[in-house]
Amino acid sequence: MTQDEGGTAAVTTIVMLPLLLIVLAGVLELGAVRAVAYRAGAAADLATIVAVNDQDQTELARTGTLRLAADAADTARDYFARNLSATAPALAVSVTEIAASADIASFPSAPSLDQRTGVRYDRPTVRLIASVPVRTPGFAMLFMPTVTMITIRAASSAR
Amino acid sequence: MRKRATTLLLAFALIPGVGAYAREPLENEPPSFPPPSAPTPDPVAFVVPAGVYYVTDTYVADVVATRDATTTYSTTTIHESTGTYARVIDTVDTGASSTFDGRAFNGRGELTDGRSLAGTYYENFVLTANGYVPVSIVFFQDDSETRGRDSSSSPPPATAKPATTSVPVVAATALPRGAGPAPSSRPRTPTPPAAPALRAGVALAPDGPILVSAEVLRGRLVHFWPRAFANDAPVSIRGWRLLSARPDYVSADTGTTEPFAAQWIRMPAPDVRWSLRFEIFTNVAPTERLEAQITVTVRSPALID
Repeated sequence: MTQDEGGTAAVTTIVMLPLLLIVLAGVLELGAVRAVAYRAGAAADLATIVAVNDQDQTELARTGTLRLAADAADTARDYFARNLSATAPALAVSVTEIAASADIASFPSAPSLDQRTGVRYDRPTVRLIASVPVRTPGFAMLFMPTVTMITIRAASSAR
Repeated sequence: MRKRATTLLLAFALIPGVGAYAREPLENEPPSFPPPSAPTPDPVAFVVPAGVYYVTDTYVADVVATRDATTTYSTTTIHESTGTYARVIDTVDTGASSTFDGRAFNGRGELTDGRSLAGTYYENFVLTANGYVPVSIVFFQDDSETRGRDSSSSPPPATAKPATTSVPVVAATALPRGAGPAPSSRPRTPTPPAAPALRAGVALAPDGPILVSAEVLRGRLVHFWPRAFANDAPVSIRGWRLLSARPDYVSADTGTTEPFAAQWIRMPAPDVRWSLRFEIFTNVAPTERLEAQITVTVRSPALID
């Protein structure tokens, strides 16, 4: 390598390094967002599973059919907040606010139609749709918002 | 060579004399089966009084009604099952005496001429673990008399109509005389008692309706109540026994008044249902065997794609 070629490589590195760092930061931040989205989705799944694991005892004694407990939606909201707490440092707002604003619908008897999603449920179901704001400071280097909103959905039924 | 042969012969000769040290496996262990116990005496025979039947109509009050010149003495009842039994113990004509006079809780009335009313004495029973226990006697009056226009003349003989062919049903419930509905001039037409129509089923509450199927959650303890009815009126259960296969957990295979508690831990195969079948005996008909069945579907929470 001659002295001229060495200088060219140094210039190229100096010019490209910031770009590489920006790309690296973006990739890392995107991975972090995906991890948070995965954990928030798991939190929603578990919340809906817990919610459908209780049945209306009065209805059971009266008709023998499985009807969800009257507080199924509240149970799902409560457990969604509890499960999200492990991800709280990565979230832009408190887990309580996220759970409170989540759209949780209980369909205690079947069949039923979810007006929001258009899905027809053959079993008593609890459905959860939530918007989770995630901190993404790494995106600031890419001139993107520092908070990324992800939407998660979960639904469970007793089958 | 000779020494070796002698040694071998000696060894073979001593082999049968060597004791074998071995252990009898069950020598020092307690027997796995309990020793046979002394035979228990046969239970006391369950004595059923002759002619006893299940009460489906209950005594309410004695009724004296007068229409024109005829006075009718009758008894009103209400269609109600109180879980008691009764039998006819005496049928008396007008003026005739009975060994049960003075023993009925509602007494025995008289005609205007002082003669005792015709009617029928019934003895009431309750069924206990020791059999039928008499609790009271009731008199069902069934008589009438007609007065002539001339009241000064001697009273005409009363027309006795003892209920000899028809048997009204009574209960041990004693109501005060005159506490019943207003007297009616219509004569009583007692109906013969019929054997109660028994049916059994399974409910999920002590007083819940009979169910043919139920959907339960896996892992939850569910109580099943075997129930029985006589003429659609609930009657007490003398005992029940599970006939079908057992779920993962059951409280007991037999019982009396307590429910059958069951729990399913393992999920059955898809589209497979459990069938719980019970044998039920009631206090109404202790020897009659009833069967009840309920189909159980076990469900478990799962995500929806």
